[in-house]
Amino acid sequence: MSARATVLVIDDDQDCRASIRYLLEDRGYSVIEAGGAREGLKKVTEQRPDLILLDVMMECDSAGYSVAHAIKYREEFSGCRNVPVIMLSSIQESPDQLFAMSPESEMIRPDLYLAKPLDATALTDAVERLLEVRPSPAVKAS
Amino acid sequence: MSASVTRPAGTEQGSGVVQETRPQTVIVIDDDRAMRLSCQKVLSKAGFAVETFETGSAGLEAIATLKPILAVVDLKMPGISGMEVIARIHEIDPQVVIVVITGYATIDTAVEAIKSGAYDFVPKPFSPDELRLIVNRGLEHRRLILASHQAEMERELLKRRFITFVSHQLQTPLVAIHQYLDVLRHLESPDPAKTREWLDRCLTRTEEIQAIIKDWLTLSKLEGGTLAGQRVKVDVKRILAEILGSYEVLAGEDSLTLEQQFTEQDCCVAGDPSCVGVLFDNLIVNAIKYNKPGGKVTVTVERTPDEIVVSVGDTGIGIPEKYRQMLFQEFFRIQEERKTPGTGLGLAISKRVVSEMGGSISVESEVGVGSTFRVRLLAWREPQQ
Repeated sequence: MSARATVLVIDDDQDCRASIRYLLEDRGYSVIEAGGAREGLKKVTEQRPDLILLDVMMECDSAGYSVAHAIKYREEFSGCRNVPVIMLSSIQESPDQLFAMSPESEMIRPDLYLAKPLDATALTDAVERLLEVRPSPAVKAS
Repeated sequence: MSASVTRPAGTEQGSGVVQETRPQTVIVIDDDRAMRLSCQKVLSKAGFAVETFETGSAGLEAIATLKPILAVVDLKMPGISGMEVIARIHEIDPQVVIVVITGYATIDTAVEAIKSGAYDFVPKPFSPDELRLIVNRGLEHRRLILASHQAEMERELLKRRFITFVSHQLQTPLVAIHQYLDVLRHLESPDPAKTREWLDRCLTRTEEIQAIIKDWLTLSKLEGGTLAGQRVKVDVKRILAEILGSYEVLAGEDSLTLEQQFTEQDCCVAGDPSCVGVLFDNLIVNAIKYNKPGGKVTVTVERTPDEIVVSVGDTGIGIPEKYRQMLFQEFFRIQEERKTPGTGLGLAISKRVVSEMGGSISVESEVGVGSTFRVRLLAWREPQQ
């Protein structure tokens, strides 16, 4: 990787963000944080992250899904459509199953689900893998 | 944070009118043609759809498809006996109320039929009024069964939802703690200052879990009636002054003023001192937590001939109209305020205490200006000599 990849962590729990940030920075990534869906979307367009870690339950139970949906379908995010998204959730049922009935489930499926609490190794492995396979590095805004 | 993803649908329904989902079908099983016809006539007139059957086996075959609400069964029939018909009807459909017709009016047969699952009996010969009476009584019984069944289901759903909420509430801080510890374990040489900071955060989050458990236990004790059962003379002004005193330091951190406006009159109520303490403690803590820096908390005690009225006012963010209905529900937290630590149980507990004491609690609020919670409790009355 030529430049340090930037990971955006969208989670409403500041402690969860803090531990993820430290772990990823320790692994050489640059980390930016957002404490909610709206702030997260703002940072997606402003800072053009290379990967997004997205908590499912924030302002409302499915706030994470609305973020994923916006990135994939809203016009202003057209430049970020291929940014890999890892969704984080502490609910026991697989969110994939939970939302399988929804016609939109296909539209908001992330690249990967990880269960909270996150396992440090599983997280760093997943981040590394998804950043490797991305088709082309996201073009930085500046 | 709420966890309604796993909440079963339709749990918000009130326990209102019990809905009868079946058509008003009554079946009559009797080998005597005249009896079948007269029953049909009487019950049709009473507004039921009536189907008659000559034998027990014919009647049993129709149970599953007709789904009757009630069956009138003659006890003495050729073929399958009435007694057996009763048992078999309930095997097919336990919700059918059964009334038996007994020709030889011995009490023993009727008792035996009731033991087999019949609800009531009508001895031959009977008048149309007697039949109508017995059928209506049977249907009243059915309504009661349905109602208690529904109440049971609602309680069950509520319980399940409550458990989902509590689990999620506990899980949130646990996830944060787990992740800190896991990352610390993972790092080869963690920064000592960082380690220290994280351990402090872990402790803070542990306290959050303890607060949830404490509130939860209080709530369940209130539910079991073990907490609010005591009725002694409690001085409301003294309790409030104590609580306010204990929060001076906390209020000082945000430069809040704590003001008390107490009437000179005696203000005692009948209750459990610790419950009354919890009730007002929750209101005052909220008024401090959800205030603006430099704001004010005003606690007013007034007395009417019969009541003690306590108002806890703040100069905080106010409660948007849409949330006021849900404010006293367990685990409800205003979305915009999720960053303020809290269990979402405080107001639910306060409300429970107030209703146990036969009082009331209400809220007035203006967004951006502040909120006032008002509690009305019956004034203490000296026992009559």
